[in-house]
Amino acid sequence: MEEIRIEHLTKSFDGFIAVNDVSLVIQPGELFSFLGPSGCGKTTLLRMIAGFETPLTGRILLGNHDITQLPPYKRQVNTIFQNYSLFPHMTVFENVAFALRIRKLPQSEIDSRVREMLQLVKMEDQASKYPNTISGGQKQRVAIARALINKPKVLLLDEPLAALDLKLRQHMLIELMNIHDAVGITFIYVTHDQSEAMSISDRVAVMNHGNIIQSSPADDIYERPNSIFSAYFIGETNLLSAEVTSIEENYVGLKCYSGPGESFEIDSTFHFRPEIGQKLTVSLRPEKIGLSRTKPRNQDDFNIIRGVIEDILYVGTHTQYIVKVGNLKFRVFNQHKRVYFDDAAPDWEEPVWLFWHDTDSWLIDEEAPAGMDAGDLNVFERPIQMSRGMKRSQKQE
Amino acid sequence: MNPTRHYNATSSLERKLTGIRNLHSWLLSAPSLIWLVLFFTLPYLIIIIYSLLVPDIYEVKFVFSLNAYKEILSGTYFKPIFLALRLALMTTLLCLLLGYPVAYFIARSQEKIKNILIVLIIIPFWTNFIIRIFSWRIFLSSHGVMNEVLLGLNLISQPLEIIRTDWAVIIVMVYVYLPYMILPLYSVIEKLDFTLLDAANDLGASDRTAFFRITLPLSREGIFAGSLLVFIPALGAYIVPQLMGNQNSLYIGQIITYKIKNIPRNWPIASALSLLILVCIAVILLAGFYIYQKRRIRKVDEAR
Repeated sequence: MEEIRIEHLTKSFDGFIAVNDVSLVIQPGELFSFLGPSGCGKTTLLRMIAGFETPLTGRILLGNHDITQLPPYKRQVNTIFQNYSLFPHMTVFENVAFALRIRKLPQSEIDSRVREMLQLVKMEDQASKYPNTISGGQKQRVAIARALINKPKVLLLDEPLAALDLKLRQHMLIELMNIHDAVGITFIYVTHDQSEAMSISDRVAVMNHGNIIQSSPADDIYERPNSIFSAYFIGETNLLSAEVTSIEENYVGLKCYSGPGESFEIDSTFHFRPEIGQKLTVSLRPEKIGLSRTKPRNQDDFNIIRGVIEDILYVGTHTQYIVKVGNLKFRVFNQHKRVYFDDAAPDWEEPVWLFWHDTDSWLIDEEAPAGMDAGDLNVFERPIQMSRGMKRSQKQE
Repeated sequence: MNPTRHYNATSSLERKLTGIRNLHSWLLSAPSLIWLVLFFTLPYLIIIIYSLLVPDIYEVKFVFSLNAYKEILSGTYFKPIFLALRLALMTTLLCLLLGYPVAYFIARSQEKIKNILIVLIIIPFWTNFIIRIFSWRIFLSSHGVMNEVLLGLNLISQPLEIIRTDWAVIIVMVYVYLPYMILPLYSVIEKLDFTLLDAANDLGASDRTAFFRITLPLSREGIFAGSLLVFIPALGAYIVPQLMGNQNSLYIGQIITYKIKNIPRNWPIASALSLLILVCIAVILLAGFYIYQKRRIRKVDEAR
């Protein structure tokens, strides 16, 4: 088993930098995901590992071997393509056998290995069918068998489930995890679907504008985002623009801006040492905020603020409330242990209390972009401004 | 409700619908069917009848005779038929070898350039066929442009005598029929999913292997269509051999023309020879189709 070491990899197309000086180590046997919006460079990175693109600078090492300049057919790396790319003029059997035929193995060995692979993906009874006569999920299985038959050291998966419908996607996701356990090789997974990436991966690398913003286990990225982008891109969150007013042993006092000349005070635990007067951003996940008609009993380590319900969205597993605090719009998710808090349906324009524990908020050492309101994140629809913010945050690191 | 009755009701309704649909498809295909019968089936029937008659100076005598076929079997026309087959085969092969890279290149070009290149392939059709062939005669002749240039560059000491040889016929045939090969090839290669080549590369195939295992088999239909479009007219070629060839190697197309043009005319033998060309094409087509089918079946069997 060998690790993959990516060193200072850069790639540009016609002056557009697709991958910007990326360095990374992927452990042997790891299920690693690249997650990011379209155009973030994740597919380019994958294609460089596969050998379809040559990097401008940097190296890719598989174990101790520098594979940067090797053509795809000389790398012990195989790929599952987005639309499967099965050969339409070959049967399922021949598709899976392709790599072995190229190596001119004896027919008996080809037979037994193809059977074995088709069994692994539960397609042994479809061997004589042509790709255009099987379903999307079956094509996916054939693609997996075809890519694994050569016993690669690394399997690359380029949005493998994007073409499947939701139920099948969830099913195949579990199947992929089982296959990963069965073969034990490194899987590198590229997706723009965060729930896919979070549920399947040992580690997730969040990418934007050709950079890796954060690479950590899924719960780290969700609970402990290192940047506004990570916090915003993964799941939903409330981002508050805040200024440090006091520093205690276990928490900091913060002044959060809720409009021109308007603000409210909160406390928050911290994981880095801020300075008094420092501007930073607070990330507060919607499911961590409590909602109540009556004011909660004053407790020292709770933050309690007043707001007005602006919108109610019932989504089955929970209800989403949009609560206005000054100019800010808080998103609050209320799970249905009881359908409605206080056993009565909340109404639009109804004043409510929001409360959360000091430890539920997360500080991000990055100044909020101008004009950013909690819940109203249209600043992120302007990617250029975002990228400047990102560069600033990287210099600080 | 009785399930059987219900079933019968739907099936009778369905039968009616199918009847109407059938009528529709007959009506829709009527114009082309009539056209085919009038201008394809009937003429061939006339040719068959004429081949079974006795020649007269200008016309035919309506007397049944198998003389035309006996004459063909005697071997007099084996050489022109052989020459025509060789010419058609060489033309098809050369068109394929020259046309495939061109079609591939165009198919993989950028969208804007593609259309320009296709137009460039078609432009020669705008000039009269005969004029284009005559210009080849001038170009290839002993004191033509080609020989003057080669002599001037001291690459040759004697003018190349290409004109009035079988080579001249082949060169011009390839020139004339190349677009008919390129266009169907282009339309097939253009639809090819090039990520399949990435997949083949990824699975260990070099670019060359990927070409022979993926690109070529997937462009088989284009090769088939292009080859037919070149081979069939090339087999009965008349004008090109007439203008570029010599009297010592006459092709079947020329023989047929002479039999009708020269007096005394011989309609029966010309008809019989025309039918012979038809039979040659049919045999080759069926053989090709048979091999194609058999390979497909064998592949399915292997996979079982």
